[in-house]
Amino acid sequence: MAASLPDDIFFASITEINQKLKAKEFSSVELTRGYCARLEKMGPRFNALALSLRDQAVKAAKDVDGDIKRERFRGPLQGIPFGAKDLLAWAKHPTTWGAKPYAGQIFKENATVLKKLSKGGAILAGKLAMVELAGGPSYRYASASLTGPGLNPWDPTRWSGGSSSGSGIAVAAGLVAYALGSETSGSILTPAAFCGVTGLRPTYGLVSRHGAMALSWTLDKIGPLCRSAEDCGLVLHEIAGADAEDPASAGKSYYYAPQFARDLKEVKVGFAPVDFSERVDPAARPDFAKALETVRSLGVQLQETKLPDFPYGPVIGTIISAEASTIFESLIQSGGVNELADQKQIAGLKAGLEIPAKDYLKAMRIRSLIQEKIREVFDEYDLLIAPTRFGPAPKITQPLDRPSSDRPMPKEPGMSALIPAGNLAGLPALSLPCGFADGMPMAMQIVGRPFSENLLLTVGKFFQERTDWHKRRPKL
Amino acid sequence: MVQMSQEPATRNEKRETKFTRRQLAIALSTSAIVLAQTPPPPPLPQNPDEELKTVRDAIHQNAEQLAKVEVPMSTEPAVHFRA
Repeated sequence: MAASLPDDIFFASITEINQKLKAKEFSSVELTRGYCARLEKMGPRFNALALSLRDQAVKAAKDVDGDIKRERFRGPLQGIPFGAKDLLAWAKHPTTWGAKPYAGQIFKENATVLKKLSKGGAILAGKLAMVELAGGPSYRYASASLTGPGLNPWDPTRWSGGSSSGSGIAVAAGLVAYALGSETSGSILTPAAFCGVTGLRPTYGLVSRHGAMALSWTLDKIGPLCRSAEDCGLVLHEIAGADAEDPASAGKSYYYAPQFARDLKEVKVGFAPVDFSERVDPAARPDFAKALETVRSLGVQLQETKLPDFPYGPVIGTIISAEASTIFESLIQSGGVNELADQKQIAGLKAGLEIPAKDYLKAMRIRSLIQEKIREVFDEYDLLIAPTRFGPAPKITQPLDRPSSDRPMPKEPGMSALIPAGNLAGLPALSLPCGFADGMPMAMQIVGRPFSENLLLTVGKFFQERTDWHKRRPKL
Repeated sequence: MVQMSQEPATRNEKRETKFTRRQLAIALSTSAIVLAQTPPPPPLPQNPDEELKTVRDAIHQNAEQLAKVEVPMSTEPAVHFRA
């Protein structure tokens, strides 16, 4: 019986679960029933569940069990349940984009990433909640979602982060083994950091977005939220690759091969001390200091640096607003936009239609300069490292466009704009849990050159071999 | 702002605390600068019209920030974006 599976299984790594399935310690059906029961019971408690797919998941798991019985192994994800952010199309079932105006939306075809995972024998257990329209141009409250505010498993009075809120919650609470999310600017890294899980934002173009809701054609990426860097590598291995259906596809594959990563003694890592000593929440500074020392102990060369000086916020804000409002023009013109939950989101979409072409193009020209200057940074450094978020998850009632703390911030910007900068340049980033503040998880991000996921994940893997932050579990 | 001790001072310590005029002037001017740098956030919009006005103002401010960046004439927009 699924109920007999111990809790530890639901928090095990992909590799561990895969080995146990192959060893027939339990079947995929038992595992799937167990995960689905948790997802259906605890998902609504944290506002993490958009749609349970239990029946078809169990059916798919039966097929996998047949394959395993015949020793037809299809990869490390075979027979393991996962969740997908509800912006990914799953045919014949509602795909709501987290927004009331799209509550009844049904697609005929599966998103490319879900097709790829199904082909590898992965089991889709459910669609996961998200901030409406993946955040749109902007939103003020955590409640900006069809399913209500994402509640953090570490403290349900606090936000899970967004816009991949259900993905962060479901992995942290052991409701799925891993989840897919999406990032336009921070939507994978933020819930990963706030929920204490490992999140990977892949290089722009590495993972197909066909079948995913578009928020910004030039910024959107699909990526995994997992229990570890190694799990992120195994999932990326399956979902990356060329797709003629995605105009932005880079036409590249990805093979998770940490054994072939560069010697870490040759790797130069840039960081801004002010981020760790002054900008980050004081309660987390000792943990961040240890995290930096752990990174140093891997043998890398840690050196001080800073980001090139650009107005990253206004650039990315202009691009997202203009593209999102164009994408949702019919929703805005029809008045359906007024059904959204968040007033700032509604106003942002309406006002975005008024952005002059010259401002959008100016932002995109500055973006070209940003890419050029960041390329120069990466001539000198292989990786950049900074706290993912500088404070812990805010309370769910707190306006997100107001400072969460009244403590003074240093004048020196350090790498506080690394999330918008990394997204504007299309760079991969890995968020790793590295401590706690006020009982809430904190994380650091590692950013690399385009298509350097193997190096990021190798550093992440070695970091997690020396720390146990990623193994901590909330009391549920 | 002058960094006063976070711990409550005893009466004796308070009595002994003295500032020169120069220290006081520096303290007040520094306080003024810090306060000027961290203005209290504006009140939250109360209705959809105010919300729209606030968002339009923010978009306008973004445009002003973009206008300050000098971009060489030869720089093309990243419209065919590649990482």
